[in-house]
Amino acid sequence: MLRFLTRRVLGAIVILLAITAVTYFLFFVLPSDPARLACGKNCSNPDVVKAIHHRMGLDLPVYQQYWDYIRGIFVGRHMPDGQNCPAPCFGFSFVNDQPIWPTLTDRYPTTLSLAVGGSAAFLVIGVGLGMLSAWQQGKTFDRVASSISLVGNSVQIYFIGPLAIALFADNLGWLDHGHDPTWGSDPTGSFSGLVLPCLVMSVIFWSNYSRQTRSLMVEQLAEDHIRTARAKGMSSRYVFFRYALRGAAASIITIFGIDLGSVFGGAIITEATFGLHGLGTLAVNAVLGLDLPMEMAVMIFSASAIVIFNILVDTAYAIIDPRIRLS
Amino acid sequence: MRNSRVRLGAAAVAVAALSLTAACSSGGGDDTGGKGGASSKPTKAPVPNYGLGTAADSTGPAKAVPGAVKGGTVHDLDQAGFDYLDPAQQYVSDQLSVSLLYARTLTAYKIDPTTKKTVLVGDLATDTGKMSDGGKTWTYTLKSGLKFEDGTPITSKDIKYSIERLFADFETQGPQYIQSWLYGPDYRKLYKGPYSGQEIPANILDTPDDKTVVFHFKDAHADAPYAMAMPVTAPVPKAKDDKAAYNNHPVSSGPYKIASYKPGKSLVFVRNTNWDPATDPIRNAYPDSWNFSLGIAQPGLTQRIMAGSGDDKYAIDLSGVADPTQMAALTSDAQYKSRTVNEYQPYVETLDINTKRITDPKVRQAIAYAFPMSQVQQVFGGAAQGDLGTTLLSPTIAGWKDFDPFGKKAKPAGDPEKAKALLKEAGNEHPTLVFPYANTPRWQKISLTIANNLEKAGFKVVRKAIDPTSYYTVVGKVNNQYDIYRTGWGADWPNASTVVPPTMDGRNLQDGTNNYSFLNDDHINTEIDRIKAITDLTKQADEWRTLSEYSLQHDTAQVPFLFDKYFNIYGTGLGGVTYNSVTGTINASTVFVKQ
Repeated sequence: MLRFLTRRVLGAIVILLAITAVTYFLFFVLPSDPARLACGKNCSNPDVVKAIHHRMGLDLPVYQQYWDYIRGIFVGRHMPDGQNCPAPCFGFSFVNDQPIWPTLTDRYPTTLSLAVGGSAAFLVIGVGLGMLSAWQQGKTFDRVASSISLVGNSVQIYFIGPLAIALFADNLGWLDHGHDPTWGSDPTGSFSGLVLPCLVMSVIFWSNYSRQTRSLMVEQLAEDHIRTARAKGMSSRYVFFRYALRGAAASIITIFGIDLGSVFGGAIITEATFGLHGLGTLAVNAVLGLDLPMEMAVMIFSASAIVIFNILVDTAYAIIDPRIRLS
Repeated sequence: MRNSRVRLGAAAVAVAALSLTAACSSGGGDDTGGKGGASSKPTKAPVPNYGLGTAADSTGPAKAVPGAVKGGTVHDLDQAGFDYLDPAQQYVSDQLSVSLLYARTLTAYKIDPTTKKTVLVGDLATDTGKMSDGGKTWTYTLKSGLKFEDGTPITSKDIKYSIERLFADFETQGPQYIQSWLYGPDYRKLYKGPYSGQEIPANILDTPDDKTVVFHFKDAHADAPYAMAMPVTAPVPKAKDDKAAYNNHPVSSGPYKIASYKPGKSLVFVRNTNWDPATDPIRNAYPDSWNFSLGIAQPGLTQRIMAGSGDDKYAIDLSGVADPTQMAALTSDAQYKSRTVNEYQPYVETLDINTKRITDPKVRQAIAYAFPMSQVQQVFGGAAQGDLGTTLLSPTIAGWKDFDPFGKKAKPAGDPEKAKALLKEAGNEHPTLVFPYANTPRWQKISLTIANNLEKAGFKVVRKAIDPTSYYTVVGKVNNQYDIYRTGWGADWPNASTVVPPTMDGRNLQDGTNNYSFLNDDHINTEIDRIKAITDLTKQADEWRTLSEYSLQHDTAQVPFLFDKYFNIYGTGLGGVTYNSVTGTINASTVFVKQ
């Protein structure tokens, strides 16, 4: 296990470094100039453009800028405009000159809460529906659940989000409008503010998980070892949960691991739909504003999260399915 | 001033469309026939009086708003956030709208809450300034009783220090008028700011006593009082100045101070007890606090104000416009219409023609005749979000008069026959036009509409999609290979001195210029110098207008097509909502919470 983890962590560091390098250098392939975007009416003054280039560090060679950026994450930096940036330093925003790290730490709880809450919702609802459909295979419930899944698969967050807000928050008043969590000071309010966004975000995922789970469970229930277990006199319920579900779980976890990137993508759209302030909205605004330090930081943050979760998912295989050996 | 980034497009069609002026108005609804549809009704803009107020006009307290009461919290919903709170860095409209709450300036615009008449008065200063030396020297005297939020008195030294900060390397976002007037266009090379221990010498910027500030400009600037109304003259206490980081905690000189700020997320203002209303002629400051929620996406933002549940009853969006998809309901449903504001903004949308490539004025005029104004207006959100515009100056500029040399209002959909005739006269019936556009859904649609209509007149149009983030960089290159492209512009104060010279002066053209058509007309260049030296502002305004009309009719380097309008709704729990025609935003000074 230790050898596996060491190998995966080293691999992850190489992957992350490659991603940062590609992102950084690709930015400079574009014809866009962030200083020209930032100078507005003052663009007609070359001295101002020059000053902005200097403030952004863009007057240095690209490799030097990249090295300064990566180095700053570990040892901090003294910025060209005189501002001190202690480690972990992800620089200052090109758009509003704000330090990146405090912004990230302020925003990540929203995205993490959405990702965890949304995943919990779609796993419980999706896997639960899929299991019940497999249990009720061919019956009315199965057909209805399949139809609902098909509908769920076809809709988008930005379509059902406003509808859900209008119905459950504005008209019925059952659920809170979405808002950013403040777990430390208001855990109850934070939870209630995330219920609707998490449920909406889960819709595009659970329909898929429901279909996958149903199909995997049906497949498992037709296996020889299930027939043997039944022949031994075990109850249907016991066989269903102890044998069939366990067999299907490894595949479901694999799909979940692959979906982690999509979960982040879903969080971005959910944040925008509900007016939440997470990494997703930061990422979108950074791309639109040519805000390289922010783009890099969000990318490093989210890529690290995905890589770490993937390692955890891989590790979980062994626990779920003893046939899989990590080595 | 520039428009806010959000208004200019979430896709960062980060326009250099800059800003501001004054306006006419029709508060409480859309009186331009706006149902979200097109309108060819001639624009009639009763420009408020932007004259200079007297010393008596400059005394506080502000005139009471009928029915207003003190107390409560206003909730502002904002699509983006305020990139800069440091007054020295503030230029765009959303920043100017919030600046009024905590930053007082030497002069400011006094807006009558009933008549909407707008005049410039002394804010920190006792009047709008005393001119001498033929307009080169301007003297300001500070009022008594002015204090920062910590109780420290505001003196002339604070004003001087604030001006000196404008020269620092990190100060790149704010307007540069005062710096270049004091030192010339190379001001950054001549003075580096106060942080090296060097002050601006007294023969350039003097403070003979604690209450007097004297500006010695290199040339005459009759409109200096208007430049002093921009946030750059707000006092910054030296003891609290930590350079670029000051942006996060500006010290208040106004009625509110910052209680908490999370950039891009939230901003809360509470009362500044060291603000004396008796010194302030423009700010009523009725609410106890202002709570800004930043980064609220559309269409949710507009829908929240429309629904008005919970605190949204007290919601407003000081600088943003309503989501275009909600326009039909907002302009026709009585429950919404009665609490909307629809006013001119200072921006004029234009199609710029590259005069280095399209050298024949007849061909340029043919483009003007063929241009489909009304179709473009539809895509912009209809008449409530933009009036058909046929002048290069906005109706919000002092001295504006209607002018329509190409008969666009009679044929707003375009006149291809007239255009064809002009092309025939020019001896080129099928010229090719390369037409770049910012690759956003709105401009994909508009560029196609424009291209189709130009082709009806005989042009061959080649559309080129440009990444929105690099659009202005690309079209701002003097040697660009494009023929026609959209830009926008607005004045920084209600005088065309901030429109005509930057967009039409053809001398020293270089990449990044605001003269996107690269027009270089000797007559215009000479006239600019002559008109700038006129010290009678009324005469100057007339001369600028005449010159802009000459440019439109004879050079036709730009085809104006729309005057932008502010249109938005506010919560049922708010009263005293007036419009600041100078910043193109809601006037925060008069707003109150109904009790």
